[in-house]
Amino acid sequence: MLPPFLERALLAVVLISVNASLTGTFTVFRNASFLVAGAAHAALAGAALAIIIEELGFHVPVLLGGLVFAVIASLAAGYAGKGKLNRVEDLNTAIAVSFAFSMSLAVLFISMIREYAARVWGLLIGDLFLISYSDLKMMFFATLTVILVSLLFYRAFMFVSFDQEVALAYGMNVRLYDYLLLTMIAVSVVVIMGGVGAILVFAMFVAPSATAVKFARSTGFVFAMSFLISLFSGLFGIYLSFQLPFSPGAIAALTASSTYFVSAFLKN
Amino acid sequence: MRAIKTDEGENRRKTGAEVKVEVKNITCAYNGHVALKDVSMDVMRGEFVAVMGPNGSGKTTLLRAIAGMIKPVKGEVRVYGSISYMPQKDYVNPNIPMKVWDVVAMSILAKGKKFRWSVKLSEEEKRAVEEALRAVAMFEFRNAPFTDLSGGQQQRVLLARALATKPDILLLDEPFNGVDLPTQEKIINLLSELSSRGITVITVVHNVSPLIHHVSKIALLNKTLIAYGKPEEVLTAENTLRAYGVSIPVTVCEEGYLHPLFGDIHG
Ligand SMILES: Nc1ncnc2c1ncn2[C@@H]1O[C@H](COP(=O)(O)OP(=O)(O)OP(=O)(O)O)[C@@H](O)[C@H]1O
Ligand SMILES: [Mg+2]
Repeated sequence: MLPPFLERALLAVVLISVNASLTGTFTVFRNASFLVAGAAHAALAGAALAIIIEELGFHVPVLLGGLVFAVIASLAAGYAGKGKLNRVEDLNTAIAVSFAFSMSLAVLFISMIREYAARVWGLLIGDLFLISYSDLKMMFFATLTVILVSLLFYRAFMFVSFDQEVALAYGMNVRLYDYLLLTMIAVSVVVIMGGVGAILVFAMFVAPSATAVKFARSTGFVFAMSFLISLFSGLFGIYLSFQLPFSPGAIAALTASSTYFVSAFLKN
Repeated sequence: MRAIKTDEGENRRKTGAEVKVEVKNITCAYNGHVALKDVSMDVMRGEFVAVMGPNGSGKTTLLRAIAGMIKPVKGEVRVYGSISYMPQKDYVNPNIPMKVWDVVAMSILAKGKKFRWSVKLSEEEKRAVEEALRAVAMFEFRNAPFTDLSGGQQQRVLLARALATKPDILLLDEPFNGVDLPTQEKIINLLSELSSRGITVITVVHNVSPLIHHVSKIALLNKTLIAYGKPEEVLTAENTLRAYGVSIPVTVCEEGYLHPLFGDIHG
């Protein structure tokens, strides 16, 4: 039998990998990876606000606070970038502004937290070994939703990413699918933040699919390989943190992002 | 795709010939910036129309308006039948390693506004994908990732995707960019054959020379419609001067067709 904290850490790594594979790949295909950083900082702001509310005596799950903020920030970025037919760069500008806004908000909220400095630290850098059972439950249901949405809308996401122009011409509701993807990004960001903290979300979220896409000869390959990269990174992080006094999340994110650079190097 | 419910019988009685696309005095704008002004044109069943004009003259905008992707700020577009649209290649994401077969099947699966739950193609649909791929000589590449193809090959796959739904009206945006000459000729013959079978073809081209024996009309654009009609009526020195800022010299070939000596200002 594994100790429960390790069991929870391993389960969290699997859940993180599913999100990195599904949402990560759709995000990379849609050229929207920049959005992930924005959603992560909004999630941080929301989680910090949940802690403030807790200090006032009301209980709000921290990850839920993060989720609400990340969804709002993502949808706002999508709305601000509306009507930019096929100009993803313009969408990114809108995201950059919402990113700056939510980052400022996060700093503001964190500065208001008096007593739980350690918890803020946990939000920022995470700790795979300190995941609570209720956090894990929430991560599980969030991941289940991501899987379901991916299965249902796989083709639509692919078409809209491949060429939005023609998807529109064929009467597809491109805006709707974009909002759906934006929401999915927010959900996955919160799941991954639950494991590795807000700072490392981007590395775990984007690096595996960005690496996989470099070698891919089919879309299925990208999903499979990004899952494996993420899983390996997470397990390696856990393993190493038993041998050495390292944060497992940091090692996982370092491994995941290193694969990107190694692959870029191998390709050239 | 989009089939606009209009009484075709009434339409036919009214006009004699069968109008497939009616563009009625449309003005199109992006965020208040006018891209197309007061354009009117009718395209009949089986016509093969080339749309020409310099960069930024509103060619793509005209196709988008016909496909219903953008709403004119003034005027209206009526379309009688199903449409397929092939985009200018720069609008396609070059980083998705989708299989060629799946790219072509995409248009069939997306056909209609209704969400289709089953991803499996019927036998008939599979045949349509195969036929379309053969028509552009890309069937051997059906299992290759789209990202591995050359620019011209990608262009051919995008054309196959537009053909696969067997539309009544084909809208093509610069389908020959980067396509080698033998394939280009093959595609032109195919489009010409489709139009003789009653399919309406509207294609944006920069170089009309290779098509000139086949097209029934040319639309010359520069924000407004400078001229629309038979090639020899449209390609006059006065019209090309108005469209491009310089007049394009033309020659007459043995069969009596006018050929512009330069494909386009920027070739
Ligand atoms: N999505 C868009 N948003 C804003 N402006 C646009 C958009 N698409 C086109 N425009 C503008 O509208 C005008 C007409 O563009 P359009 O793409 O129709 O030209 P075009 O004739 O197809 O040019 P090209 O030969 O370069 O393809 C241009 O000034 C262009 O900058
Ligand atoms: Mg164009």
